[in-house]
Formats: sequence, structure tokens, C-alpha cells
Amino acid sequence: MNAFMVVLLAALFLPFPAAAETPREKAARILNGIDDMWRGESSHGIMLMRVKTRNYSRNLKMEGWSKGKDRSLVRIVQPLKEKNTATLKSGNDIFTYLPQTDRTIRLTSGMMMGSWMGSHFTNDDLVKESRMLDDYHAEITFEGTRDGMNIMEFTLIPKPESAVVWGKIILTVRDEKIPVTEIFHDEDMNISRTMTFTDLKNFSGRIIPAVLKVVPVDKPDEYTEIVHESLEFDVTLRDELFSLASLRKK
Amino acid sequence: MNGVARHFTMAWRNIMRRKRRTLITAASVASGFLIALTFTGTADWSYTNMIDTSAKMGYGHVTVSPEGYFESPTVEKRIHGSAAIRDAVLRGGGVDDAVIRIFGQGMFATAAKSVGGTLIGIDPAHDSAERNVFINALNEGRLFTGADDPEVVIGKKLAEKLNLRIGKKLVYTSADVNGEIFSGMARVGGIFRTGVDAVDGGVILLPIDRLRHALHYDPQDATLIAVFIGDQRRAPETSGRLAAHLRLQGAEVLPWRQTQAELAGLISIDRAIGVLFQFFVGLLVAAGILDTTLMSVLERKHEFGVMLAVGMAPKNLFLLVLTESFYIGVLGLAIGGLIAIPWYWFMYHTGIDLRGYIPEGYDAGGVPMELALKMRLYWERIAAITAGVFLLTLAAGLYPAWKASRIPPMESIRNI
Repeated sequence: MNAFMVVLLAALFLPFPAAAETPREKAARILNGIDDMWRGESSHGIMLMRVKTRNYSRNLKMEGWSKGKDRSLVRIVQPLKEKNTATLKSGNDIFTYLPQTDRTIRLTSGMMMGSWMGSHFTNDDLVKESRMLDDYHAEITFEGTRDGMNIMEFTLIPKPESAVVWGKIILTVRDEKIPVTEIFHDEDMNISRTMTFTDLKNFSGRIIPAVLKVVPVDKPDEYTEIVHESLEFDVTLRDELFSLASLRKK
Repeated sequence: MNGVARHFTMAWRNIMRRKRRTLITAASVASGFLIALTFTGTADWSYTNMIDTSAKMGYGHVTVSPEGYFESPTVEKRIHGSAAIRDAVLRGGGVDDAVIRIFGQGMFATAAKSVGGTLIGIDPAHDSAERNVFINALNEGRLFTGADDPEVVIGKKLAEKLNLRIGKKLVYTSADVNGEIFSGMARVGGIFRTGVDAVDGGVILLPIDRLRHALHYDPQDATLIAVFIGDQRRAPETSGRLAAHLRLQGAEVLPWRQTQAELAGLISIDRAIGVLFQFFVGLLVAAGILDTTLMSVLERKHEFGVMLAVGMAPKNLFLLVLTESFYIGVLGLAIGGLIAIPWYWFMYHTGIDLRGYIPEGYDAGGVPMELALKMRLYWERIAAITAGVFLLTLAAGLYPAWKASRIPPMESIRNI
């Protein structure tokens, strides 16, 4: 085989080197990957939520199920006093079941910005399904080593018509896939709240931060921390699980 | 001179015999008249002011709205073809203006906070400071100019709560006509300040087409048409006439008393208390008149005895004393009227500034109040007060007149 044939065969059978990825494409790939990190066809997990405010502290153990992007059910397991209090998200609707009064409440638009189960998350945080790139222009503003980690920093600026309250978000990602911090700025570019992702664990073959902590900057003594104890993806779940009857099930 | 003229002449001469007493009695009639006029005038000014301000806060003096909207207001309830209805209202005559508006509830959020409140969709081409209390109270920035501009006008208190300034963005969340939740973003174009925290902290004005689009309304759908008239007292008559003229299916035409029931109740209670108060003031004035008239009768017991002895009928004596009361009433009202003209002119145009006595932001049922005491009188009220005071004066003269007619002639002459 002459040299010409070697080159020809190589050209035919060896893969072409990947076309160079533009910074925009790279940002989109990583951010969409992070959006999909907690998403699967379906999921089931147990988590702890610790909420500390100036007025109270509460620890909740919750069991959650999700199917697709728009259906999820979260039910409190502990403490006993709040056991079976549940939240069902179905499409754009959120329902809350209160076992003490045996009442189911559909959250109105006026309640969407209210606190979810007394935490620093709003009901609206639960409903939002949009990807980061739907609402923000993303730019990689740092790439390199920081604190011994391979870090990539994204600056997300809201698109002019996006209905988001933030002026800017700085998202730090390690190894191109694991979020480390998310810092939310207001329109004057002052920091409003920070979100940190720690304690990497392997859940169903995915390396995911098991602990998520939100701290409002104007109340630094307060926080909400969510700790995933277990998380399974792509489990078989019946559609009936995400019904109002299921929400009220004790 | 015939009998009636002589009768009136005698009565006039009688009251002029004691000029000072007559003047004092007439002065008490005049003061009663002025008190009634002032209380009624200030109350009517304040009620009219409240009703007009309330009308400018959204619903107008008369409202064309979907049937049952005010029993349970929801965005699902709306009127179709609002522009055509507005034109028909204006063509019908008897109204000053008609403005199309959309009302909804929602949450307003920034990075700092989120609060709930009322969204009002307005068309800047039709709405104005004259018809809209929020535009009138605009003290920073400007009103959006287009019906689809990405701008809002918010209250001062809301701006403080959400840490907003002119040019900053606000996210509003509400539910559309299908119950689906939507969010929109707008920049703050203007900030108004009415002085009432509940209003300044919970209302935003949006361009009507933008809100219409977000609510998934048809292009001519709206919550209501606010109709303005020059005199709020004509609201019931105007609403009845418009209802007959428009003949709308699925919509109704209501006067402000039905759309702003809380304010109407407040005014009714206040008016009832005012009437009761004026009744007691009237009783006091009447007691004063009764006292002086009775005294004048008792002083003239001998004189009346002589008159009866020479053949005057007791009935005529009764009428003579009553005519004296009539003259005192007329005199008192004339004095009262003379004082009332400059008093009313001052109170109507200038009034008394109450800013030093009432805290700023004082409201009645959520309606901002002007911190001044002014008067506004309607002709029928002036007529009612004049008639009331006059009849009261005559009534106060009844007992003394009866007493005079019952004087025993012989006994009166003997006891000189």
C-alpha cells in the first residue's frame, strides 16, 4: 500500500476532528446541561429542607416525584405536625394540600411570589420551566483554575423583554458541568442573593451537588438549604400520581 | 287698607317696637340658617369631592361593566366591543366623557421584593389627568404615550417597597382569561403620589393593549367603561338612560352607589349623623325663638286683653303673633342670606386649610381626601334649608300665638 492509499483510507475511515466550538455554542451546551442536571424523564427522591429566618427555623423531610418538565409532587414526611402537607405542580398550576384543615388550595397569580413552604424560594421558582438561555444572554467571562478547581464563569444578562427580576447572574461551573455558585444581582448590579451547590454525590449515575443553599444578601443570617438524601432518575411513575386525588392522599 | 294688610302692618309695628329683641331673635334665626348652610355645604363639598375622586380612581360616576362583575370581579368577566359601546355612550349625550379600562390583580416583583396589587390598563389617548387620579398625581417621570408601550406608572410607596426608580424594570405576574399564569416586564416611566399609602403602594397603570395581549383578550375587550358626568347626583338617572339607550346583552350600567358601595355607605352614615346633628342645632335655635316670642307675648298680656275685649277674634290674635314670627323668620333669613353670600364665596373658593390638623394621606374608604374645608351648595339644598329654618321659626311661634289667643280679656285688664 503506497502512501497515497494510507492517506485516503485514513480520510475515509478515521473520524474528522470535531469542528471548533464557538464560545456561544460552548456556553449553550454547558448551560443546557446544567438545566437538565436535575431533570429526567422522571425522578423520585428524598430531601431535607432547612429554613432559617429571623423569626423561625424549621426542618422538613420531604419526598418528591417528578414526571416530564411540568408535573411534580412534593409531600412532607416529617415533622409529624406537618406530615402530608403537599404541593402539586401541574403545568402552570400549583395546588397545596393542608391536611390539618383537609383543604386543597389552587395558588392564584397573586400567591406565586409568596414563599414556598416558608422557604426563601417562591412558588414562582417552582413553576418556571424556562431554560437559562431563554431569558438570558450568556457569556463566558472566566475560564481557568480557581481554588484548585477547573472553573468556568458565566455572566448572564437578561434579554430586553425577559420577565425576570435580576439585573445579572454570575454562574460558576466546575468541570464544565457542575454548578458551584450562582450569584444574583439586582438592576443596580448589587448582589441580592447567592446560591451555593456543594457535596457532590452520585445519584443514579449522575454526579450532582447534593446540597443547595440560598442566602438573601440583605438578611445574611437567613438561609434555605436543601439536602438531597436520595435521588433516582427515569423511574416508572403512574400519571395518577400527579392528580388532586393523589395530592390529598395521606 | 284692607284687613290682611292691616294685620301685616300691625305685626311689623309690633316687632319694631322692641328692635333690639327682634334683632337678637332674627340673629338666632340667621345663625341657625348659617350653621345649617355651612354643615350641609361642607358635607356636600366633601362628598362630591370624594365621589369625583373615587370615580377618577377607576370606575367613573356611571360604569358599563359585565353583568355581576362587582359581585365577584375576575378577568374572565369582560365586555366585548368596548370602543363601539364607548362611542354609543358619547353619542347618547348627557355625559362628559367615557374611558375604557381593564382591571386585574397581580404580583409586582423586583430583585428586592414582591408585593401584590391592582393592575389598571388604560389608553393614554383617552385617559387624562382630569379623568384619572393617578395621572393627576404623577410627580415623577411621565405617562406612557402608546397603548402598547413597555412602560408602567407606579405609586410612590410601591416604588419604595420594590426599590424602583424611573427607568428601572418591574416584573408583573397575573392570570390570564384562561386562568393561566403569565409574567411580563416593563420599565417604570412615571411615579404618582396620591398620599394614601394603600393606593400608592398597590396600583400600577399599564398601557391597555399590552395588558389586553397578556390577558389573551380580544382587541376590543375591556373590563369596563368609566362614564363621567358633570354632576354626580345625576348618576342614577344617567345610568338608567344609558341602559335603555345601549340595550347591552351580558353587561349592565351601574351608578357609582352600586360600584363603590363602601363609599356610598360611608357617605350615607355621615349624612345621617349630619342630619341628626342639624336637627338638634335646629331644636336649640327654635327654643331660643320660642323663648323670646313667648316673653314678648306675656309682656303684652294686658294689650292683648284690651284687643280681645274690644272685639278682636282670638283667631286673629293667634295669626297676628304668628305673623310676627313670620317677619322674624324673613328678617333672620335675610340677615343670614347677606352673611352667607361672602361666607360661601370664601368657603367655595378658598376654604380653610386643614393640613396643620389632619395627617397627610388621610383617606375615606381608600379615597384620598383633600385636606381643606370647603363648601359646595346645591340649589335644592338651599331651598330645603331656607324652608326648614322658616318653618322652624313659624313652629316656634305656634305656642306663643296659641297662648296669646287664650288670654282671658277681663282678667288681663284687671291685673294691670
